[in-house]
Amino acid sequence: MTNYWIQLFINRNSTTSVGAEENLNAILKKYFPGDYQLEIIDIQEHPDKAEEACILAIPTLIRKWPQPEVRLIGALTVQTRVLAGLGIANVDHLLKQKEN
Amino acid sequence: MNIPKLETGIAAFDLISEGGLPIGRTTLLAGSSGSAKTLFAAQFLAMGILKFNQNGVFVTFEEQVEDIRNDLKSFGWDIDQWESEGKWTFVDGSAKEEDVITIGEFDLSAFRVRLERSIIKNKAQRVVIDSIGSIFTHFPEHNIIRQEMSKVSMTLRRMKTTAIITTERTEEYGAISRYGVEEFLTDNVMILRNVLVNERRRRTIEILKFRGSNHVKGENPFTIVPMKAVVIVPVSAMNLNQHSSSQRITSGVQELDQMCGGGFFKGSIVLVSGATGAGKTLLAANFMNGGKDKNERCLLLAFEESREQIFRNAKGWGQDLEQLEADGFLKVVSNYPEVRSLEDHLINIQDLVQEFKPDRIAIDSISALTRNPSERGFQEFVVALTNFLKHEGITSMFSATTHMLTGGASITEGDIATITDTIILLRYVELTGEMQRSITMLKMRGSRHDAYIRRILIDEEGMRIGAPITGISGLLSNNPIVA
Repeated sequence: MTNYWIQLFINRNSTTSVGAEENLNAILKKYFPGDYQLEIIDIQEHPDKAEEACILAIPTLIRKWPQPEVRLIGALTVQTRVLAGLGIANVDHLLKQKEN
Repeated sequence: MNIPKLETGIAAFDLISEGGLPIGRTTLLAGSSGSAKTLFAAQFLAMGILKFNQNGVFVTFEEQVEDIRNDLKSFGWDIDQWESEGKWTFVDGSAKEEDVITIGEFDLSAFRVRLERSIIKNKAQRVVIDSIGSIFTHFPEHNIIRQEMSKVSMTLRRMKTTAIITTERTEEYGAISRYGVEEFLTDNVMILRNVLVNERRRRTIEILKFRGSNHVKGENPFTIVPMKAVVIVPVSAMNLNQHSSSQRITSGVQELDQMCGGGFFKGSIVLVSGATGAGKTLLAANFMNGGKDKNERCLLLAFEESREQIFRNAKGWGQDLEQLEADGFLKVVSNYPEVRSLEDHLINIQDLVQEFKPDRIAIDSISALTRNPSERGFQEFVVALTNFLKHEGITSMFSATTHMLTGGASITEGDIATITDTIILLRYVELTGEMQRSITMLKMRGSRHDAYIRRILIDEEGMRIGAPITGISGLLSNNPIVA
């Protein structure tokens, strides 16, 4: 069982999407190793899923779990803000936990 | 070059736009809050489905889909049904409950992909985006949104859809829209207004521009009617090409027929002006009763008296209007002028006419309708009404009340005198210490007419017109001088 379920909606034709994917992977590997499930959804391939989730902007990250749902929009360029958006304000505390 | 138009199916709109919306283009529909933007846009889609078998896509950035479905039910449009038949598709871009945080660059390509896909899937020819202003409130990065929405308008153009994009205005007379969207949606602009005039709301629609194409200029009033939605009153689109008849019909008073050279012209508009008690209602009752001989259908719209009062008074003049109504040749409708706006009165009269199909109509009195509206609103109403009645070929009598007992003219007459064919003045004149009633034919288009000021008598047999009043001048200016 993982504690985080994250969806990232991207458009393979856009540069911001590539950046977002990289930025997110770096953050997840660093702060949540083995503790997450990441689903990358390309809207060109799966427009139905974009419709269903009412996605307008690309890239859009949805934190499906834990509840409540949170949406982050953009290339996820600022790590601290992404972490805050995912609901982790006290990063130092989290890192120490991992070290122990 | 004239860009071809797509007939919208919103009847009077196709008239004022000279054929509909520019085909394959996007039109910006700007309006303050509560100006019926969403309704007009939805009607554009609904008419497409109902009248032309053209499918539509409705993008909402503002209201929730469920709310829109419910709101539109009252106009008789079953959106659920159309959705299941693939005729109507929602693209939901409305704000949801969860938090949205923006970190770094983004674009709206997901929206464009969804929109394109819905258009293709539905073979949609009509698209509505309601409203572009709301997407600016979802995302604070206005530069990005402007850029992205301009791409959306290019997508719509490429897909050859005829689209309406709505946008908010903060004031009725000022900048076209907020957020400067007209910078890229500049070709076709329409404005809906909802202005407070004399404590009443007056709705109008104005086509500001259709690039490379003609349309009627200026504001046209409209109203919102259950089951019909937006109904426009096309004042400025009126054409003066109604054919005029040379056929005569009786006024219902024998002497009056003689005065006007054999009766009123069929399909003409007769204005009867007079002070209270001068005999206007009597003349209207006579006019109705006059239809009896040839089994004409008559419609009497009373704005000053109730049906019972009219029937009772007419009996006193020897006319059984009640029986006439029972026989199906007359319909008397009594209304307070205040119950609805002028636009609604007009729509109501049109509905009554379509339903009853009268040959004659009497409105007693048209000046009662000036109690609330602005002067301009009243003028538009009269123009639209006469235009309609002439088009239908109905012989009409309007009565107008003057404020002064002797002489004088009312504001009403000034407004409508020029568009009426015949004017009859009923006046009190003071003669040798006695108040007498008089009648004069002031004008009658296309006919010789009696020019005398004649005495009238009202008794249990109705109106009787007597000999001319001679030897005295200045009667109507209330300054009689014995010659």
